[in-house]
Amino acid sequence: MAQIFPRSANAVFRATVMGVIGLVAATVALAYGIHGGGYFTRQDLIRHQPVPFSHRHHVESMGIDCRYCHWLAEESHFAGIPPTHTCMGCHSQIWAESPMLKPVRDSYESGEPLVWNRVHDLPDFVYFNHSIHVAKGMGCATCHGRVDEMALVWQENTLHMAWCLDCHRNPEKYVRPKDQIYNMAWNPTAREQAELGPKLVEAYDIQTQDHCYTCHR
Amino acid sequence: MSENNADTGALEAPTHWTSLEELARTPEFEAFASAEFPTAWEEARHSEAGRRDFLKLMGASLGLAGLSNACVRQPDEKIVPYVKMPEELVPGKPLEFASAVERGGYGTGVLVETHTYRPTHLRGNPEHPDSRGGLHPQAQAGVLDVWDPDRSRQIRRRGNVSTWDSFVREMNEVIANLSEQNGAGLRFLTGQTSSPTLLRTFEAIRQRMPEARWHIWEPVSRHHMYEGARRAFGRYLEVRYRLDRASVVFDLDADFMGAMPGAIRHQAEVLRTRNNQDFDRWCRLYVAEPTPTVGGSAADHRLRIRSGEAGALLAAVARALGLEVPRPKASVDGAFATAVARDLAAAGRGAVVVVGDAQPPEVHALAHAIHAHLGAAGHAVVTTEPVLAPVVDPMQSLRDLVSAMNAGEVETLIMLDRNPVYDAPADLEFGKALSKVPNRVHVGAHTDETADVSHWHIPSHSAFEMWGDVRSTDGTATIMQPTLRPLHDTHSPLAVLSIFSGENEGTDYDRVRKTWKERLKGDFEKTWRRALHDGTVPDTAFRVRQPKLDPKVLKGAPPPGPDGLEVRFVPDPNLWDGRFATNPWLLELPQPITKLSWDNAVLVSPSTAEKQGLEATDVVELRVEDRMVEAPIWVLPGMADDVATVHLGWGRRSAGPVGSGQGFDAYAVRSSQRPWNTAGKLKKTDRKKRLACTQDHFRMMDRGLIRAATTDHYASHPQFAHAREAHLPKLTLWKPWSYEGHKWGMTINLSACNGCNACVAACQSENNIPVVGKEQVAKGREMHWIRVDRYYSGPVEDPVLTHQPVTCMMCENAPCETVCPVNATVHGPEGLNQMVYNRCVGTRYCSNNCPYKVRRFNFHLYADWYEESLKGQRNPDVTVRGRGVMEKCTYCVQRINRATIQARVEGKKRIETDSIQTACQEACPSRAISFGDLNDPDADVARKQKTPLSYALLGELNTRPRTTYLARLFHRNDELPVPTPARQTESHGDAAGKGGTHGSH
Amino acid sequence: MGPTEPASTGGYVAPARVVGSSESLESVTTKIGDIPLSPRLDKLWLLGLLGAFGLLQLLFLSIAWLVTQGTGVWGLNIPVGWGFAIVNFVWWIGIGHAGTLISAILLLLKQEWRMAIARFSEAMTIFAVACAGLFPILHTGRPWLAYWLLPYPNTMGMWPQFRSPLMWDVFAVSTYATISVVFWYVGLIPDLATLRDRAKNRGAQWLYGLLSLGWRGSGRHWHRYEVASLVLAGLATPLVVSVHTIVSFDFAMSVIPGWHTTVFPPYFVAGAVYSGFAMVLTLILPFRWYYGLENIITERHVQNCAKVMLATGLIVAYGYGMEVFIAWYSGVQFEWFMVTNRMGGPYAEYYWALILCNVITPQFLWSRYFRTNVWALWMLTIVVNIGMWLERFVIVVTSLHRDFLPSSWDMYQPTFWDWGMYLGTFGLFFTLLFLFIRVLPAIAMFEIRMLVPDNAAKGPKE
Repeated sequence: MAQIFPRSANAVFRATVMGVIGLVAATVALAYGIHGGGYFTRQDLIRHQPVPFSHRHHVESMGIDCRYCHWLAEESHFAGIPPTHTCMGCHSQIWAESPMLKPVRDSYESGEPLVWNRVHDLPDFVYFNHSIHVAKGMGCATCHGRVDEMALVWQENTLHMAWCLDCHRNPEKYVRPKDQIYNMAWNPTAREQAELGPKLVEAYDIQTQDHCYTCHR
Repeated sequence: MSENNADTGALEAPTHWTSLEELARTPEFEAFASAEFPTAWEEARHSEAGRRDFLKLMGASLGLAGLSNACVRQPDEKIVPYVKMPEELVPGKPLEFASAVERGGYGTGVLVETHTYRPTHLRGNPEHPDSRGGLHPQAQAGVLDVWDPDRSRQIRRRGNVSTWDSFVREMNEVIANLSEQNGAGLRFLTGQTSSPTLLRTFEAIRQRMPEARWHIWEPVSRHHMYEGARRAFGRYLEVRYRLDRASVVFDLDADFMGAMPGAIRHQAEVLRTRNNQDFDRWCRLYVAEPTPTVGGSAADHRLRIRSGEAGALLAAVARALGLEVPRPKASVDGAFATAVARDLAAAGRGAVVVVGDAQPPEVHALAHAIHAHLGAAGHAVVTTEPVLAPVVDPMQSLRDLVSAMNAGEVETLIMLDRNPVYDAPADLEFGKALSKVPNRVHVGAHTDETADVSHWHIPSHSAFEMWGDVRSTDGTATIMQPTLRPLHDTHSPLAVLSIFSGENEGTDYDRVRKTWKERLKGDFEKTWRRALHDGTVPDTAFRVRQPKLDPKVLKGAPPPGPDGLEVRFVPDPNLWDGRFATNPWLLELPQPITKLSWDNAVLVSPSTAEKQGLEATDVVELRVEDRMVEAPIWVLPGMADDVATVHLGWGRRSAGPVGSGQGFDAYAVRSSQRPWNTAGKLKKTDRKKRLACTQDHFRMMDRGLIRAATTDHYASHPQFAHAREAHLPKLTLWKPWSYEGHKWGMTINLSACNGCNACVAACQSENNIPVVGKEQVAKGREMHWIRVDRYYSGPVEDPVLTHQPVTCMMCENAPCETVCPVNATVHGPEGLNQMVYNRCVGTRYCSNNCPYKVRRFNFHLYADWYEESLKGQRNPDVTVRGRGVMEKCTYCVQRINRATIQARVEGKKRIETDSIQTACQEACPSRAISFGDLNDPDADVARKQKTPLSYALLGELNTRPRTTYLARLFHRNDELPVPTPARQTESHGDAAGKGGTHGSH
Repeated sequence: MGPTEPASTGGYVAPARVVGSSESLESVTTKIGDIPLSPRLDKLWLLGLLGAFGLLQLLFLSIAWLVTQGTGVWGLNIPVGWGFAIVNFVWWIGIGHAGTLISAILLLLKQEWRMAIARFSEAMTIFAVACAGLFPILHTGRPWLAYWLLPYPNTMGMWPQFRSPLMWDVFAVSTYATISVVFWYVGLIPDLATLRDRAKNRGAQWLYGLLSLGWRGSGRHWHRYEVASLVLAGLATPLVVSVHTIVSFDFAMSVIPGWHTTVFPPYFVAGAVYSGFAMVLTLILPFRWYYGLENIITERHVQNCAKVMLATGLIVAYGYGMEVFIAWYSGVQFEWFMVTNRMGGPYAEYYWALILCNVITPQFLWSRYFRTNVWALWMLTIVVNIGMWLERFVIVVTSLHRDFLPSSWDMYQPTFWDWGMYLGTFGLFFTLLFLFIRVLPAIAMFEIRMLVPDNAAKGPKE
């Protein structure tokens, strides 16, 4: 009786098998890409704000210290977002008429607070504490990147748990002298860090806290 | 009949409506009758578990709620900074304010923990005489009332939204109309009060309108205490027990650690001494009571009596002490009486007889005679000026009001934080009388039964939104200060009164300050600020007055109790007189003794139940005189025979979606003639009611769960707690871990625990623990992280009660950890067994494998994710759990972490000794719970765990629990037969456990 | 006409033939091959399929409700954290044991009688495992996160917990499922080719053509086929033992009295085979009756299955005995209470029902009458199936509901949705089974054909 399938069927069949395997692989890869990637983490995503506040301008050009506005970084889990009064401290004199600053002036007059878009947003089941990191020699730039070079701030790192754990497991890779914490430009060579790190870990009595209750409760 | 109670439920009996008849057909009236709830809420109110189920369904409609951290993108979030930073505030750190919570006119000092001024948690004010740092559930739950979504939010006139101004206008008209008759026809109804400002205001009103009348109604009043003092000393006096000076305490049907004002102080003074082993300083506690109470659980000797027999018993004691009192008619346990008498005599000025507020004045008076005779008067028992003023008999005062209303003498009635339509004795038919009043004003936090039938309803502030003042049992005043602005359009009773006193300009703040300006000497501002900071106004405690005893008291014999079945009306340990029935925490909190949740029941002893052919969960008709109410039976070992105890405060008809229709209304059969105990009958119906009980079994199965002995036995056998421990080889598969740094542990002293539930309530508030509703509790799914197990030992009729709070044991060899497939529960370096919600997939294997069953599972979305106002109460340092995850006690890790980080930021190596307190430990009035670092030799917990009394629960499993227990010690009187200690005999009391959560099979 | 027996001498009765003497190469192929190939849809089959499909809808409904509402829709609570879900899981997995045992172990043991029932029971295995597989995933609080049990590199920098028996389950069950499917499919290939060649309509030819992967029955093909099936049998054999051993670890590794038992692994495996063979008989007896295959699935097969049941049944009985004995012998009060509670507690009736079903009933199999009387045997197998389900219920629920602290004792009451899930899986199982019967050759034609000639040689001619 006649053949059911033409010769080519074999090729087609093999191709299909390979194709299916490939497809599955691709799907998995894609899933990884999306879940780990920028869409979920918002890494490198520039966030627009009600007032186009430029860190670059204030830090780099004005030379204002981080703590002037984020005054709680050393004492609370929350680094602090400046109240309108802080802004008006200067801007009642300089740029007092600037249309860019209108929302700030309105807030000052009406008593209605400014509403900023959160850039670094950990899940609610993660309890991050600024004060302890600062106290143990973690520089701002280590996590937040060169904010002093950002006009509008974006999230420099993934903020993935694995990313946190990397430092929590080997702090010596990232710790810096306490007097360099607010120095955005601090950038030791690998060798410098390699010899400095362990010393500082020793000096600051840094414990590698990688158990769950460190961050989750 | 029970219908009487429905008289004023506007819809049930419109015939009683005279002034509002014409309204009856208008839509306004509908709104008027059925509060402000949208229909969905109406449905929720009718569903058995109220809002919980309702929201559960909502949760369902939202589909995969709890799909929190799979592959879900974080929502965009905002940051909203202050415009101007308040200088004392550090965002991210809690701020505490001293204030007080009031019940029945007495205040208990609290420290309010706030996060950016949101009150989230309360703890007792250690400086306050009536708190000493302890806090009972009712006070604890107060913080939830601020955020209660069912709070009344707008002023309403005849059911329509109205405004404060129009209210003031109308009231001023009222005043104007009544001015020529000096305010006659204007009446006020309040609860008992000790607030100086309130008194000052009423005084001003009296000046302005001499004919206006002030009535006081308190369903659970202390008037017998005052009346007793008057008989003994010729004048009203406050009786205060200085149990710190007592060596023998005889509790006569007093529930002095539970219902009685000053309970926390009593508990602290009696039980805290039990934390050291200096037994001479332990005071011996005798308790004679009809129904087991927390006090009775802590007793060294407990005698079951009918309330009616208390007088006779005390008379017998008095006679044994050589006092010339008439021989009691009723027969009493002579051996007990003589033994107590001898012990009291030996104690001399350290002897205290605590008489229950429900006991007739004669008994109180007799107690005074005994105290005087023993020289205890002025030492261990002191009398001062009354704290509650004016001293009036609330029952009489209400009677007068009702007759005045019936006589049509009342034109305007202002009811301040009162709900007489619900809680007035049935025979007064308050509702019927009220309907004759042309103008009724109700001020209260909820649109309750009374609000439903009032023309005006003024929502009142919660405790932490207003200024006020209140006195403690020793007279010490506390300024109540708000921590936040009123959330809704609410107003304080004081503000309402001020309209009538003419002091209506200014705020409560000014009014309270005015009061104290007149009273405080020296630099006012300084003292004021100090008073606010400390939570007590310096030297406001009353001076002791010790008048001469009137010998006539010895002649007066107490009235005999009722014959046959004695029906007792007692305030509910959770809902009190019903005012807390809107609070889901208190509704769900298992009752200390019965372990019932979401219900009250008629409590009877096993043999009484047998005699009447009843068993648990049978529905009976409880008949008193010509009134009847249907109620379920609960069989309770330790009850006196032929006594039926019912708890007031349940069966609310209009207490919001959560509280309405839970339990049965005992007021329906309560009479003004015999409000405390009376003769009654139980008639069995063929129905049963499903009751939610959190503990069905209370035999120890001879498993040595609670170990106990007398102090003497302990002296001779210091190792008794370990006598029966099997010495098995303690093998483990895993490498043992040496805990270098901190090593957290907990010890619970069973001698000091009376099962008061303070720990459970505190934990609920601190750890964002959800309420699950009756249905879920009945299924065995309650969420409390710490539970208080209650066991009986000895004969079922007269067992010894012992309570055992069970937290997570933080086992060093934790069975839960090895079975979790995803590492969601693991061990920390300091020995904490860590539960990570966001990693949990919910296999429940950990709970199955937990020998202590302390783990709790979110079978549904229990935490209320949708009710905005509840979010305000949540502790921001604790994750709000989603559906499908396991949770459990964490030793309040958020507090440990805060302290750790603080210490390490300051560069310290260790946290200071005992500087961390868990929420349960903090709240415990008797300091039964110790928590701290086992590696720190000075730590309280370390010292306690070293004593031979310390034993591990189920230690033979080699779980190496970090929580241990101190065996219970009884400071017994050898003259009396010793009830066998807990671990030797078995009660067969499971009878009373029948029904319960599975009453349906 | 049925198989004719040689004259029996003494009490001895020669075992019935593996294939009826009247069967020829042709008749075998037509008898079996025509079931899938026949063009007409017969009513009874259709009815069965629809019934099963209906139940399947119940399964979908139950799952939907479960996932939107949470595990609370079941009767679970604290202390009883596992209920029907785990009971059903263990039960289905157990049923899944017969197939591999028959096809793998009996193959290695060169048991001819396996041939006629191997494929059918393998199919049953796969369907049972499919049902079983649902439960471990769906019983979790957050099924959508079940993939966290797999060890895969992730953004959390975490691994699953390899000490947990549930973790081992993941591997045990998935491996078992995979091997079973492959084994089954490989075994099908020659017959698929046969069907391809016999098929009349194009569609069937295409379908079977595709599935038979170009099988032409050349010597090379047969040789590779033999090697492959031997290798697979080798792989599958240890799995038969390992899967239920590891499933039993889910309990044995805990501290709960009634779970924490060393006898579990052997006794679970025996129980699995026991229930597996019971289910094989439950299904195959009606099947052979309906399609008139008494000559191919002969009394010999039925009897052997019954004997395996008897043997494993006795092992299981021994297991029950050991549980009680060790509980007493250990002198641990919790263990002993567990036993007394099982026998006299609120769930006592379940325990005694289980003893009746699993220990008393199989004793009838000592008698030849019960092994050969189809109706009696069929009833008996159903009783055993029920008994094995009860066994798992007793193990899971009675151990949990009263463990160490009396204060936390409570009862477990299955809800509508518990039953919904359970009955629903029957829907899934039978839907698949009915489709299998109608679409694929339920009996290995080529293997039976191998038997026919020597059968014809030995057997008396008519």
